[in-house]
Amino acid sequence: MPTDASTESVLSARDLTRHYHLSRGLFKPGATVRALNGVSFELAAGETLAVVGESGCGKSTLARALTLIEPPTEGSLRIAGTEVAGASKAERRQLRRDVQMVFQNPYASLNPRRKIGDQLAEPLLINTDLSGAERRERVQAMMQQVGLRPEHYQRYPHMFSGGQRQRIALARAMMLNPKVLVADEPTSALDVSIQAQVLNLFMDMQEQFGTAYVFISHNLAVVRHVADQVLVMYLGRPMEMGPAERIYGRPLHPYTQVLLAATPSIRPNPDKPHIPISGELPNPLDPPSGCVFHKRCPHATERCRTEVPVLRPLDERQVACHYAEVTAGTVAAPARAAG
Amino acid sequence: MSLLDIRNLSVRFGDADAPPVVDGLDLSVDRGEVLAIVGESGSGKSVTMMALMGLIDPPGVVSADRLAFAGQDLLSLKGKQRRRLIGKDLAMVFQDPMTALNPSYTVGYQIEEVLRAHLGLKGRAARERALALLEQVEIPAAASRLDAYPHQLSGGMSQRVAIAMAIAAEPQLLIADEPTTALDVTIQAQIMALLLRLQRERDMGLILITHDLAVVAETARRVCVMYAGQAVEQGEVPAIFEAPTHPYTEALLASVPEHADSRRLATLPGIVPGRYDRPEGCLLSPRCPYARPHCQTRPALMPHARGAVRCFFPRNLAAGEINPLAPGRHRRSPPKGDLHAY
Repeated sequence: MPTDASTESVLSARDLTRHYHLSRGLFKPGATVRALNGVSFELAAGETLAVVGESGCGKSTLARALTLIEPPTEGSLRIAGTEVAGASKAERRQLRRDVQMVFQNPYASLNPRRKIGDQLAEPLLINTDLSGAERRERVQAMMQQVGLRPEHYQRYPHMFSGGQRQRIALARAMMLNPKVLVADEPTSALDVSIQAQVLNLFMDMQEQFGTAYVFISHNLAVVRHVADQVLVMYLGRPMEMGPAERIYGRPLHPYTQVLLAATPSIRPNPDKPHIPISGELPNPLDPPSGCVFHKRCPHATERCRTEVPVLRPLDERQVACHYAEVTAGTVAAPARAAG
Repeated sequence: MSLLDIRNLSVRFGDADAPPVVDGLDLSVDRGEVLAIVGESGSGKSVTMMALMGLIDPPGVVSADRLAFAGQDLLSLKGKQRRRLIGKDLAMVFQDPMTALNPSYTVGYQIEEVLRAHLGLKGRAARERALALLEQVEIPAAASRLDAYPHQLSGGMSQRVAIAMAIAAEPQLLIADEPTTALDVTIQAQIMALLLRLQRERDMGLILITHDLAVVAETARRVCVMYAGQAVEQGEVPAIFEAPTHPYTEALLASVPEHADSRRLATLPGIVPGRYDRPEGCLLSPRCPYARPHCQTRPALMPHARGAVRCFFPRNLAAGEINPLAPGRHRRSPPKGDLHAY
């Protein structure tokens, strides 16, 4: 795979945009949902970018664009140095090997009618020239790595618990040793104690294979644990992006502050700011003018209603707020629980 | 006297010798108190509350030594009397607001139905009361929402409507079964704040069922931790978070990413045992890092100064605070009252 010398990132998105056009009936004009609006980031091998936001923020649309399930409407996406937009059929085939995905619901993402061994061997069958015996050997090795026993090869998905199924889903995604793994809420369907097992496995696999992860989650405690970089999104737009410790230590965007304040903690901090958040996510068909967050923002002014804030560098991260310097001071950073 | 007093509650499905889904649970809630029940899926926390609400259908069998609510013995109440109590003095909010509401009726009609059934309100009086309830649960433009159908509402709004229905007849005890699990973080915070405000204003008892320990830490005063159908620990918040006494509580806390000291999370090996593969002795023993030979017998829930624990070798308890090997409440008499499909 030829890699671009100018960048060491395996995944590079520039102004990634995805719009959906909806028909609203014969006599009404069509509408446009701007599900993803100008998302840019660079991700290096072995690093984790966490995408955080509430439903409708565009995180799953981003996942679909990154995994080549849907082409972006605009913007550029480079995977391992190859530009996706102009890629030939052969190149796209290779790109699909390089980006794999783990889905949210392990009860729906595995084929109930096929044995685990066959499902894990399928990526090899399609993408490699390995013989049946070689495939079987690779599958058994991978099963061992994710903590499955050899006899599980012959079993069907319904014979496994949720945590085990997510191990199988991860094993399937890692079969082709991808450069990028996109995980869409991989632990949100699991119990707390099982979530810890699966998160550990994700981190072990990353250490071993040096895979870059795009980790999509709404759980800020999980994100803090796994992420190197955090991208906070709202209504399809990036609000704040930067190193995890910067964003958690001192959130600058009012939406990030609200998210952190709204997340309950095991060790409630009496000094934690209470930020009242009113209202719900606006209709994506009719997004607010100016800053998309202004209707729920405690600091919104007239400028926020009219002028769209651009993502700008500030304090070692990027933030899309006119008043990031001002609002940052109003909120004390939630203290990280000591050792 | 407690508002709700449950002694030795068991729920079975199927044969009489089938393993119980809820096994010998004791629970009490006072007026104005917030009790949290925490556990993973399959721990029996929802079934307990469904048993209390009379929602267990055959082949489910509910039995208990005592099931008393506000001085009334629920075990001896007949159908009609019980229906007058449940939904009125004892109300419930369910997990998934999108399926808890009837899609065929307007929001206003569904709230008025409660008012009609339990308070005998009709016509304009019911309508006005329904509007006031929607305003109490902070639904914007409440008057226009009365004629909305559930599909026109977001998840957060639907949950507010479900809460309005639950509090319509001024219950003394509200049970909220994972009320925020299906909702976004900011909406979750709004709904929890709303529930706690209503609880305080009306001096209700509130039982909060959840799998999220952080929600417990921020809302409840007492907590009951359940594992595989049994209460394994009861205690006060925040003491139970600072010094958990049961190994399971300790492990749950350690597995939360927020708690992690290192990049690797502490885990309990294995999974929660199913109904038919429950171990012989202590239910946690196959997964417990502190298990000893003695754990091959079943421990009872043993009270101590800060709560109660079902473990022979509890954590964070000084010697003398508890004497686990003394014959305590090990052997229980078989449950007396037996209500088929109560």
